[in-house]
Amino acid sequence: MDSRPPPPPLPKRRLTALDWLLFGLVALGIGLVVWRVNAVLVYDWNWPRVFGFVARFDEERGQWVANLLLQGLLTTIRLAFWGTILAALIGLVMGWWRTCDSLALRIISRTYVELIRNIPPLVFIFIFYFFIASQIFPAIGLETINTKSPWVDNTAFRIAFGDPALFTNFLSGLICLALFEAAYITEIVRAGIQSVPKGQWEAGRAIGLSPTSLLRDIIFPQALRKILPPLAGQFITLIKDSAIISLISVQELTFLATEVAASTTKVFETWILVGGMYFALCYLFAFIFARLERRAGRSARQET
Amino acid sequence: MTFLTKVKTALAAAALAVGGLAAAVAPASAEGLLETIQQRGKLMVGMSTFVPWAMRDKEGNLIGFEIDVATKLAEDMGVEIEFVPTAWSGIIPALLAEKFDVIIGGMSITPQRNLTVNFTAPYANSGQMMATNLELAAGATIESLNSSDVNLTCRRGVVGCTILEKTFPKANILQFDDDAQAFQEVLNGNAHGVISSAPKPAFWAEANSGKIEVAFGGTPLSTGNEGFALRKGDADALNFFSNWILVNRSNGWLAERHEYWFKGQSAWIDQVALEQ
Repeated sequence: MDSRPPPPPLPKRRLTALDWLLFGLVALGIGLVVWRVNAVLVYDWNWPRVFGFVARFDEERGQWVANLLLQGLLTTIRLAFWGTILAALIGLVMGWWRTCDSLALRIISRTYVELIRNIPPLVFIFIFYFFIASQIFPAIGLETINTKSPWVDNTAFRIAFGDPALFTNFLSGLICLALFEAAYITEIVRAGIQSVPKGQWEAGRAIGLSPTSLLRDIIFPQALRKILPPLAGQFITLIKDSAIISLISVQELTFLATEVAASTTKVFETWILVGGMYFALCYLFAFIFARLERRAGRSARQET
Repeated sequence: MTFLTKVKTALAAAALAVGGLAAAVAPASAEGLLETIQQRGKLMVGMSTFVPWAMRDKEGNLIGFEIDVATKLAEDMGVEIEFVPTAWSGIIPALLAEKFDVIIGGMSITPQRNLTVNFTAPYANSGQMMATNLELAAGATIESLNSSDVNLTCRRGVVGCTILEKTFPKANILQFDDDAQAFQEVLNGNAHGVISSAPKPAFWAEANSGKIEVAFGGTPLSTGNEGFALRKGDADALNFFSNWILVNRSNGWLAERHEYWFKGQSAWIDQVALEQ
C-alpha cells in the first residue's frame, strides 16, 4: 500500500570549514547592519523603561505583577488558543461542505471562502467590527452582559477570557480573526479530503458504511495526516494576524505596545521586545505542531 | 509607505461610512444619552494615548489631563468612569458604533469632523508646534521649510497634517501611525521637522537638546479648539457637557489642570519614568 520511495540517506551532521566560513560571512553581514544602524540612528536606548511594562514589582502587595505588555501577550495567547479552536471548527465544517453532494452547501461554503479570501484582512475587520458585530452583539444581549455576576466574575473565566469588562471587545476580535483564518483552513481541509484516493470512498461505501462513519473513520483520519503541515502553518499565521485586530482596539499585544511606545517614546525597545514575544509564541506553536506531526507519522507507519 | 498610507486613509473613510450606516440602521434609543449613562451607572469614554493628554504610568494605569477631566466629569454626574482605549484612526467610527458615550481625546474641532459628530464647547486650546532637526534646519523659518527637498512628519489623521499641507505646500509630508515614529524620523535626520500639539515638541526638544529645537521660537502655527465629541442628535447631552465645561472654565479648574500637565514634565515625570 505504501508506494513512497525509500527515504534519502541522512544528511551530514558535521560542519566543514566551508560551513564555518558561511556562518562567519552571515555574522559579518549582521554586524555591519547593526553598526550602520547605530551610526545612523540618533537614539537614546533605555531598555529598563520598557522592561518595566512587562512586569513590575508591586510594593503594596509585595509581589511581581504583570504589566501592560505581559497582559497583552496573555490576551494574544487567549486569542491564539480560542481562535485556533474556532477557526478549526468552522474550517472543518466549511471544508466538508465544499466537498459535499448538496449543491446549496457547496455554494454557501464556496461563497464564504471566495468572499473572505478576496478582501484584504484590514477591510474585512473594519466591516465586520463596525457593521456586523455592532448589530449582532446587542441583539443577543452581549453588550449588556453583567460583568459582576458570579458566572462571569470568577477565576476560570478570567484565565480563559481575561478581564470580564473587556469580554465583548475580546469576543469581537476573536470572531473576526477566526472567520478570517477559517476561510484558508476550509481550503486546506477541502484539499485534504479530495486528496484521499477515490478507491477509499468506494471501498467504504461498498462495505456499507454510513456517510458519517465513512467520513469520520476512513476519510478524515487520512486527510488529517496530509493537511497537518499546512494547517500548522495556518495556525501560526493566525497568531501573527492577530496583530491586525489591534486596529479595532482589541487590547492585545500590538495595541498595548503602541500605547507603551507612545507613553514612553521608547519605540525601538518596545517593538524589538514585542517582536521577540511574537517569535517565542509562534516558535512554541511550531514546535508543538512538529511533535504532533511526528506522532501522526509514527501512527501511520504502525498501521501499514 | 505612501501607498499604505493611502490605503489606510481610504479604509478609515470606508469605516466611517460603514459606521455611519450602522448608526443609522440601529434603532434610536428612546432615552437620551444622559439617562442611559445614569441608568448604567457608568460613563464610557473613548480616548487614545497622547502625551500629556492621556498616557500610561509605571503601573500601566491611565493618567493625564484628559483622564483628570473625564474622571471629574463622571464624579460630578455621580457615576463611575470607564476608559475605552481606542486606535485613533478608528475612534470616530467607534463612537458612531456606540462603543462608548463620548470621545474625550484631545480632539480638535474641525468643520469636516463636525459634519459627522457633535462637538461641545472647547475644554482646551492647544497650539500646533513644530520641532526641527538642528543639523538640517537650525533656525528654520516658514519660508525655508517650504521647499521640495524638505521632509516633514506628522501623526496620521491629526489636524497637524492638514496644517502642514497648507503651510508648506511644497514640502513632502510623511504620515506615521503615532507621534513617536514621526518624531524619530526627525531625530534620525530623515526629516527636517515634525508637527504635534503643544507641549510635545517642547518636551522632545528638552529631552534631546543639541539635536532638536522648537521651531519658530515656540510660536504655534495655529491654535486649536479641543472639544468632547458626541453622536449627533442628542441636544440634551450636548448642552450638559458644554455647560460642564463652561462651569469648570469659569471656576478655573480646567486652567489649573491644564497648567499642571502642560507647563512642563517635571511635575509628573516621576509617575511615568523609572528612576534612571
